[in-house]
Amino acid sequence: MTTDVLQPVTTQPAEETSSDEKAERPRWRPTRGHLIAAAALIGLAALPIPFGDFGFFVGQYALIYAIIGLSVVVVTGYAGLISLMPYSFAGIGAIIVGVALGSWGWPFWLALPLGAVATVPISILVGISSVRLKGLYLAIATLTFSNALGETFFKWDAATGGAAGWVVERPIVGPIDFSSDISFYVLCLVAVGLLVWMVEGLRTSRTGRAMLAVKDNELEAQALGINVYRTKLVAFVLSGLIAGFGGGLLALLLITVTPSAFQSPLAEATSILLVTLVAIGGMDRAIGPLFGAVALVIQQQVFQGAEFFFAFVGIYAAVVLIVFMMFRPGGIVQAGKRLVEVTKARPALGLAIWAFVLITNVGGAWLFLALS
Amino acid sequence: MSLLRTRDISIHFGGIAALDEVDLSIEAGEIVGILGPNGAGKSTLFNVISGFLKPAHGRILYMEEEITHLLPYERVGIGLGRTFQHVRLFRNLTVYENLLAAQHRHLSSGSFAAMLRLPGWRRDEDQAHARVEQILDVVNLRPWRDARPGELSYGTTRFLELAAVLSIKPKVLLLDEPASGIQQKEVEALGPLLKQIRDETGVAILLIEHDMGLLLKTSERIYALDFGKIIAEGTPDEVTANDQVLESYLGRTRRKSTATA
Amino acid sequence: MITLAAPVTEVTVFGLSSGAVYALIALGLVLIYRTTGVMNFAQWAIGLIALVMYVVLSNLGLPGPVAAAIGMAAAVGGGVLSYRLVFRRISGSGQIIVILISIGIAQFFSSLAAFALGFEQFTRLQPWLPVVDWHIGSVAVRSSEIITAATAIGVAFGFLLWFRLSRTGRALRAVAQNREAAMLAGIDAVRYSSIAWGIGSALGALALLLVLPHTAGEQGGLITVFDVTPFGTLLIPAFGAALVGGLVHLPMALVGGFIFGLSRELLVLAPQPWNNLRSAVAAILIVFLLLLRTERFFASRQELEALGG
Repeated sequence: MTTDVLQPVTTQPAEETSSDEKAERPRWRPTRGHLIAAAALIGLAALPIPFGDFGFFVGQYALIYAIIGLSVVVVTGYAGLISLMPYSFAGIGAIIVGVALGSWGWPFWLALPLGAVATVPISILVGISSVRLKGLYLAIATLTFSNALGETFFKWDAATGGAAGWVVERPIVGPIDFSSDISFYVLCLVAVGLLVWMVEGLRTSRTGRAMLAVKDNELEAQALGINVYRTKLVAFVLSGLIAGFGGGLLALLLITVTPSAFQSPLAEATSILLVTLVAIGGMDRAIGPLFGAVALVIQQQVFQGAEFFFAFVGIYAAVVLIVFMMFRPGGIVQAGKRLVEVTKARPALGLAIWAFVLITNVGGAWLFLALS
Repeated sequence: MSLLRTRDISIHFGGIAALDEVDLSIEAGEIVGILGPNGAGKSTLFNVISGFLKPAHGRILYMEEEITHLLPYERVGIGLGRTFQHVRLFRNLTVYENLLAAQHRHLSSGSFAAMLRLPGWRRDEDQAHARVEQILDVVNLRPWRDARPGELSYGTTRFLELAAVLSIKPKVLLLDEPASGIQQKEVEALGPLLKQIRDETGVAILLIEHDMGLLLKTSERIYALDFGKIIAEGTPDEVTANDQVLESYLGRTRRKSTATA
Repeated sequence: MITLAAPVTEVTVFGLSSGAVYALIALGLVLIYRTTGVMNFAQWAIGLIALVMYVVLSNLGLPGPVAAAIGMAAAVGGGVLSYRLVFRRISGSGQIIVILISIGIAQFFSSLAAFALGFEQFTRLQPWLPVVDWHIGSVAVRSSEIITAATAIGVAFGFLLWFRLSRTGRALRAVAQNREAAMLAGIDAVRYSSIAWGIGSALGALALLLVLPHTAGEQGGLITVFDVTPFGTLLIPAFGAALVGGLVHLPMALVGGFIFGLSRELLVLAPQPWNNLRSAVAAILIVFLLLLRTERFFASRQELEALGG
C-alpha cells in the first residue's frame, strides 16, 4: 500500500503540478449545469421581448432580485447561516449609490463598487455575532438588525435624501445609453451571468468547501483545520458585497431611490420574499436564484397591473416554499434533477409531471385572473 | 525531546475533577495507548489536547512549544489530528467531497481567487483533486466515491474518517476508540493497519481503545487512567500486571461513578 | 397645570398596555417553542387571520365581541392546522428547513390577509371594546387602553396559573420536557402539541384584536400596509420578550413583555435626542439579550443541546 500521499508534510510537494499533470487535466467541457445556465440566460434574454417596455422593466427587476438572491446562496446555502436581512444589505447599496450619484456626482463605475463596499462594516458586525449565535438565534438576530437599520439608518434624512429620496441618472458609456431599456436589461443579464459564474466558482474552492463543511458539521470542520470563525465572517462579507451591488443596480433601475422600501417592516417583508424565492429555486446552487426570479417574472407578467400581485406572489410562493422544503429541500434545482432522472427512466411518467406542473401554474394563474 | 507533552492538565465539571494533573508524553513515531474504564476522562483528555476544551490548569507542549492557547483548527495546522468517538463526517457531502474538504490545510487560495478562477485557484484545485484521487485508490474507497456517509457501513465510515484525518498529514494522531462499533474481522485488521501507517509516515499515534486485544497488541506504551488521574504507565505487560489498574476495572462495578468522560 | 405626574401615568399605562400585548404574543411563542420545538415566526400572521375575520364579520353587521371571538377561533384553527398538516411532519428536518417553513407559513397567512382585505392603503376597523375617555384628576386615560392592559395582564396571569396547575398544563410540560418519555407515559404528544399551537395562536390573536381595532380612539383602528407583512410591527418586540426568558421560560416572557413595552413608552419622556430611539429600542434590547445568551439561565441541558445543534 503506497502511502506517499499520506506522508507528513516535511518536504515541500515540489513536483505536484508537473507538466505531466497539466497535460492530464481534462479538457474543459460544458456540463449539464452549464447548459441549463445558458438556456436560462437565453430564455431570460428573450422573455421580455413580446411584452415591450413593461416586460423589460420586470425582467430587470427579476434579474436584480436574482443578484440579491445570490447573497442568500453564499451565506445560507453554502455556509448554513440563516440571514433574514438580504434586502437591508441591498438597501445600503441602493442608498449609497443614490447619494454618490445623486448628491456627490460620482461616476457610476465608482458609485457601484462603493455601494457594495459600504455593506462591509455591517456585514462584519453581523458576521462576528454569527459566530456566537446559532441557527434560530441568528435568524432572530438578523431580523433584529434589519429592523434596527430600518428604523435608524433608512430613516435618517441625511443618508436617504429625505422622504423623496435621491434621483440618479443612468450612465452613458461610450455609445451606449443605459437609460434605454434594452441596454440596461443586457447590462443586468451580463451582471447576473458574471455573478452566477463567480458564485458557482466559489463552491468548488477551498473557501466554498469550508463553508459547506461548517454548514454540515462545525466540529468536524474544526477537526480538519478549518477556521470556522473566519469562514463565517467571509460568508457574511461576500454576501453583503453581492447584495450591496444588487442594491446599487436597483437604484439605477428605479432611478428614484426612495427609502420607504428599506424601512421596517417592508424591508423585512421583502427580505422574506427574497429568501423564499431563493429557497424555492435552490438555495445551495448559484443557479437557484435565477429559477426563483423566473418564477417571480412569470407571476408579474400574468398579473400585470393587478393590485394584489404581491399578495398572490406571497401566497403562491409560500405554498410552493412549504411544499418544496417538506419534500425537496434543494428546491427547483434538486427537483429538476430528479425529474430529469425520472423522465429518462420512465418517459411517460416524467412527461405527465411536466404537464402537471405547467397546467397547475397556468391554470392557477387563469383562475386567479378570472376571480379578480 | 518529546513530540507532544501534557503537564499537570486539570479540568473540572461541576465540582468533579474530570482530569487531575495529567502528565503524559509521546515521541515521534510511537504508538501509545490509553486505557481506563468508562468515565475515566479519556475523551476529555483528547478534547483538551486537541483544543476543544480549555483546561483549568496545565500546559500542552508540542515540540517543546506551548500550544495551550491554540484553537482546534490551529492545532490541526501544526500537525495534530484527531478522530471522534462517534464518527463525525459531513453527512450531506459525498465520500469524494469529504476527502476534498480534508485537503483544506494544504491549499491556500482565497475566495476572490476562486470567484475569478485565477491560476492560484486552478493550481489548488488540481492539487486537491489529484490527492483525493490517489487517496481513494490507496484506501480502497473508490467504489464509494459518490456515496454519502449515511449509505456506508459503519466500518467503512470509520475508515473514511481515518482517511480524512490522515489527509491532514498529521505528525500526531489522536484516535478515540477507532474499533468501537466495527466487526471483529475489521478490528483485527486495524492493529496492523495502524502500525503500517506509522511505519510509512512516521506519525505518532495516541490511541484510546476499549478493545484490549487491539490496545495491547498495538501500543508500545500504555497509560492507565481512572477518575481523571494517571494510575499507571509502562509497557502493556507492566500495566496489565498493575494492581491498581486491575482494581479499577474489577472493583469499578461496585463503586458508583458520577464523573463523565 | 400639567404636572409631571400626568404624562408619566399616561405613558406608564401605555407601557403596561403595550407590554401586556407583547407578553401575550411572547407567551404564545414560548408555549409553542417549548412544546413542539418550533419557533413560530408565523405568530403575527396567524393573528392576522383573526383580524381579517373580525373585519369581514363586523362589516357584515355582527356585534364586535362576537366577531372578535369568531376571529380568534379562526386563528386557533389556522394554528392547529399549521401544526397538524406541516410541522408535525417535519420533525426530522434540519433547523434551517424548519425555520424556512415557519417563515413560509408567516408569508402565507399574511399574504392571504392582504388579499382578503383588498388593496387599500388602510382598512378601517371598528372597535369592539368601549372607547371612553376618562379623567382621573389631571390624568387622561382611555378606557380601551385600561381594558386592553387589564385583559392582557389577566389572560397572561391566568394562563400562567392554568399552565402550572391544570392537568392539561402538566401534560404540556411533560411533552415539552421530554417528548418520548411523555409518549411512553401514555400522553398523546400530537394532541397536546395541537393544544399548544391552538392556545399559542389564540394568545397571538387576542393580542392583535386588543390593539389594532383601538388605535384611533372612537374611530376604531386601522390596518395599514405595514401590518399585513409577515412579521408586522409587534412580533420583534415579542421575540425580545421571549428572549428575556431564554425562549423557554413563560413567567419571564411576561416580565419581558413589560420591559419592552415600558422601555418603548417611557422613552417618550426622555429628552432629545434619546426619545428618537423609541422605535429602535426593541432592537437594541434584543441585541443585548442575545449577547447575554439568556438561554443559559433558563433552559435545561436537553433544551440547550437542541438549541445549540
